[in-house]
Amino acid sequence: MARVFNWQLGREMSYWYPENRPKKQFAAVFDINKCIACQTCTLACKTTWTSGKGQEYMLWNNVESKPFGFYPLAWDVKLLEMLGAQQWSGKKYTGQTIFESAAAGERVMGWRPEEQDYSHPNCGEDDCTGQVDRGAGMSMPHMNWFFYLARICNHCTYPSCLASCPRGSIYKRPEDGIVLVDQGRCRGYQECVKACPYKKAFFNAMTGTSEKCIACYPKIEQMLQPQCFVNCIGKIRMAGFINRPEEARPDNPIDYLVHVKKVALPLFPQFGLEPNVYYIPPVHVAPPYLEQLFGPGVEAAIKTYRNAPNDPDLAGLLCLFGSSESITTRFRRQGDTVIGMDDRGKELVRVPMHEPVMTRPAWDYKFNIIRNNCP
Amino acid sequence: MRTVRKISIALLLCAVLPLGCHKAPAPTAEVVAVKAAKLPQSPDDPAWEKVPLHLARLLPQDLVEPRLMKPSTPEVRVQAMSNGTEIAFRLSWADAQADDLPGTGRFMDGCAIQLPTKLMPEPPAPQMGQAGGTVEITFWRADWQASVNGRADTLQELYPNASVDHYPSEAASLAPGSADKKQMSDRYAPAQALGNRRVGPRESAVESLLAEGPGTLSPAPLNGAKGKGIRSRDGWSVVFTRPLPAGLAPGVRTQMAVAVWQGSQQESGARKMRSGWVPLLMER
Repeated sequence: MARVFNWQLGREMSYWYPENRPKKQFAAVFDINKCIACQTCTLACKTTWTSGKGQEYMLWNNVESKPFGFYPLAWDVKLLEMLGAQQWSGKKYTGQTIFESAAAGERVMGWRPEEQDYSHPNCGEDDCTGQVDRGAGMSMPHMNWFFYLARICNHCTYPSCLASCPRGSIYKRPEDGIVLVDQGRCRGYQECVKACPYKKAFFNAMTGTSEKCIACYPKIEQMLQPQCFVNCIGKIRMAGFINRPEEARPDNPIDYLVHVKKVALPLFPQFGLEPNVYYIPPVHVAPPYLEQLFGPGVEAAIKTYRNAPNDPDLAGLLCLFGSSESITTRFRRQGDTVIGMDDRGKELVRVPMHEPVMTRPAWDYKFNIIRNNCP
Repeated sequence: MRTVRKISIALLLCAVLPLGCHKAPAPTAEVVAVKAAKLPQSPDDPAWEKVPLHLARLLPQDLVEPRLMKPSTPEVRVQAMSNGTEIAFRLSWADAQADDLPGTGRFMDGCAIQLPTKLMPEPPAPQMGQAGGTVEITFWRADWQASVNGRADTLQELYPNASVDHYPSEAASLAPGSADKKQMSDRYAPAQALGNRRVGPRESAVESLLAEGPGTLSPAPLNGAKGKGIRSRDGWSVVFTRPLPAGLAPGVRTQMAVAVWQGSQQESGARKMRSGWVPLLMER
């Protein structure tokens, strides 16, 4: 194995191939606080990409309730159990990744879901962490909680699907970092299904090959956001490109949220893949649980997010989410307006940070009648 | 009295056993391809009973990751016949469970034979060949055999209770056999659009492949390769027929290797039981 640098872990780690970052890296930020699990993203993806034979069970995009929702069943807790208790030392991960924990003869530590593990994608939906009907011993703002976790392929910098494929059928595009399965080369060994900790590689029994989220690359090539982004009615998602921390640009929306404000965090960074979908953690959830999911930056991220009303640049950028089908690779705030732009500074979208408020008097003097909201 | 009966039984066994053993020829140290006017196409053809049998010992593929860490199939019975232009192999092995239904976490029973592309004094690496030392592989899989035997290529064959509301490729507006229908079908099956041979339905239970090292397997034209597998009481029996490699004439010796996958053991790709090179002698 080669030694590569994983900035999310703050250290070098072992990986099957040498470090070879793409020219640009597709990335996204999901604001969990705004997700209502309407599954419009799931359907947008399903309709666009996985309506074929053998894809019936596949959800390249899914939204599950945490902590008790899973698709496939137990995808995260199973691997966490295999990996065992691991430690962070401040911002540096001192535990073992799934590459470093691989058993003899394996490239990656992984496990293989059974068919029935995919059978109930909404299992655990809306299940709360517990009950307080007999009273609780302590008082917290949210005694019990759940939240919705929307998931796609993370198009990881160090993909374990890619590392695990003995045929080299999976590749990471140098132009945008999107991870794809070569459908002409794949022989359906299902090593990627076993190796992906997020379980976002799927076997298609009718084509005999493995398939996965393609980040809607035909849209990315046109600088448009993927289907699950533009169809999100909660406007929780923003697609873009991320730079390495030392090259972060404050006017790049993804860089600003991930590197500058550190308000968006990777999912299970401890697995070691340097995933490129970042989450603004839910503010009402117990921090120990969130730290297991998103690493040690959780409390600071929540504090920053809560302070957004006093941070106009951050608040403005959050207003850009879901405001345009185009990918905004630059942004700036102008007073009470936030402007999304392309790489050359061309304006793509302009969004007011506060919607104009109109107050209608309850009494209509013209017609001398009370107004109501019924049509 | 009881002692006398025991001795009688022992004497009877001594008399009968050698006769019984006499029928099955002793396994040969190499695979001998006997001459035949006609090559049997089926594993249960009686012609195979007279053909010398080589017991190929198998080892787990433990040279490259991902490895097979737990041995499964210990040996394969290998026989060969040739008519001067083609060579036929019969591989038989024990496998308690037939695995021929693909799915997530489900793997197929299969087997393969491997020959060096060129006759050379030093054969290439037995593990899929090496750069400059290409090997030719003929691969059989149980699910392909089921497809050739007539199993429909539908989801319901894999999941009998499956119910699907709609496939875009089966919209009423798309005429059967039309280019539009094919295009819609390809849209949701890129492996099919690219001509990947994993995609059914199949016309042959085998495929021809070339390799020059682990991870380099590439498809090759069938070139007349054929195969048929049948399920025996305790395993599989598979016949491969393929053209003779160039230069492989009567009296010439080359090498061959075999590999077996047991689906129930989650064997697939590199996770397989394989032999080293086994000498293959063409009968004069």
